[in-house]
Amino acid sequence: MNNGNIVEIKNLKKSYDDGGIKALNGINLKIRKGEFVSIIGPSGSGKSTLLNMIGALDTADEGSIQVAGNDLSLKKDLSTFRSQKMGFIFQLHNLIPNLSALENVTIPMYGNGYQSKEMTKRALKLLEYVKLKDKAARKPTELSGGERQRVAIARALANSPSIILADEPTGSLDSKNGQMILQRLKELHEQENVTLIMVTHDMKVAAMAQRTIKVLDGEIQT
Amino acid sequence: MSFLKLMVKNPFRNKARLALAVIGIAIGIATIVALGMVTDGLKVSIEEQLKTGGADFVVMKNTTSDSSTGSYSIKNSRVDEISKIDGVKQAAGVYTSSRMVEGNQLGLAGIYQKDLNMLGVKMIQGNPFSDNKNEVILGKLAAEKMNKKVGDTINLNNVKYTITGIYETGNKELDSIGGLSLSKLQSLGEDEGKVDMIYVKINNNADLKTVTQRVEKTYPGELTTISSLEDFQRADDSLQMVETASMAISLLAIVIGGIGIINTMIMSVFERTREIGVLKAVGWKSKRILSMILGESVVLTLLAGLVGIILGFIGIEAIIIFSDTPLQLIFTPALALRALGIAIFVGVIGGLYPAIRASRLPPTEALRYE
Repeated sequence: MNNGNIVEIKNLKKSYDDGGIKALNGINLKIRKGEFVSIIGPSGSGKSTLLNMIGALDTADEGSIQVAGNDLSLKKDLSTFRSQKMGFIFQLHNLIPNLSALENVTIPMYGNGYQSKEMTKRALKLLEYVKLKDKAARKPTELSGGERQRVAIARALANSPSIILADEPTGSLDSKNGQMILQRLKELHEQENVTLIMVTHDMKVAAMAQRTIKVLDGEIQT
Repeated sequence: MSFLKLMVKNPFRNKARLALAVIGIAIGIATIVALGMVTDGLKVSIEEQLKTGGADFVVMKNTTSDSSTGSYSIKNSRVDEISKIDGVKQAAGVYTSSRMVEGNQLGLAGIYQKDLNMLGVKMIQGNPFSDNKNEVILGKLAAEKMNKKVGDTINLNNVKYTITGIYETGNKELDSIGGLSLSKLQSLGEDEGKVDMIYVKINNNADLKTVTQRVEKTYPGELTTISSLEDFQRADDSLQMVETASMAISLLAIVIGGIGIINTMIMSVFERTREIGVLKAVGWKSKRILSMILGESVVLTLLAGLVGIILGFIGIEAIIIFSDTPLQLIFTPALALRALGIAIFVGVIGGLYPAIRASRLPPTEALRYE
């Protein structure tokens, strides 16, 4: 890793169904540390697959992918890598329904050496950051869509990740709540200097990023 | 929140499913506890019977030897013969039977009046029976159950027998029967000249082992001596049969409970596929997911174990009380621990497959799950 790049992808290929579906077809990409990048493309273009590859949720068939100084194709313990380096925000908040907002935020901290009290203290701080400290004890069903997604942002920050990966973070929200979440993510990027990679199919949303990468048929459009 | 608390919390998400799963396993555990209480009670009762009386050992027909005729009866003449064996102080023949008396099944022990000490009988009211008269004594519990007192009569084979006394031994089974002259009961049972067992008391200076060996050597293959529970189990396979049945039912309960828990946990994992995907995405290792699902399974079966122990205890006590069975029930911490051990075992075995399945879910596939 050099030139301050946090992500370096070379000729990345990924296919499914024994090669029948080519999701990524030779991707080359560099993302600088602290950059806010949006990946845009229609459904099935391969943008979510690319995000999953960067997030070490899936492995490549061909090519190399280096994230935060780690060659993911050589790395065996990807879960520890994800836990320490990545923060995920999904389209659907994906919060655990029987746990409170606070408990949901603590989830990524398990197995990272935190004591129970430390976990609670940190989760409360993160909920305060997303302006939800007063609703820490509420279950996801007792929160609005926007609030749930803010809890998801707090959860993504639980282990102070180097990169935040957001897959359609406003996809299931109304425009007002969507705007609020985007604003929160932008602030997060500016204040914490965290690298933010966001997948979206909405041009307006994509325009908020410093750079937009267009993906079509598994390839980056220049 | 600790990881343990998380494991405890998760099974309570779907309360209806939890209740059904717990009931399913609890019934099996309840059966194990109930049967355990019965077998432990039987063992204690047998030991009490062996110890409470004045006898040092009991002679029974050897039903396990090749020469056995399958009959449990011993010739009357053996009583006199055994009483003459070196070291024997007293030998008492006992014949047992039962009769319907005023709607109650009454167990009866035929023994000569002079030998009543061998059964540990203490008269609490009235006097013992006379061997040559139609007289009977009742155990304290039998008298209470039949509402009889000294001077009342009972009909045995249409012959009136006068109750001359009420006794107590401290043993629930012996206190729930009646006693009368050996020869009278033999003739009622049309089994004259035969006894079921011989109670033997040895001389103060005699060695128990030597005397029992002498008896067995005198009647090789025909008679066996019982001075402990182990001897009883060797000579009489009925307790062994109850224990085998108990084990078979326990095994069945484990299998049924295990299948139930596999089903419950598979359903739970299936419903939480997306959630498992999220856990993997945030960095949970497969091992942690496996322990969580396995832990949830054990929490569920442990809860079922506790419910089962309470159900089994109350259930068997209620059955014994309502059926008026003079059966002693023993509940020991060891039995409770065994039941909980089985519950945990079912939890681990039943939860293993769903837990492995959950831990192996590829995160991207799990996250895509609708």
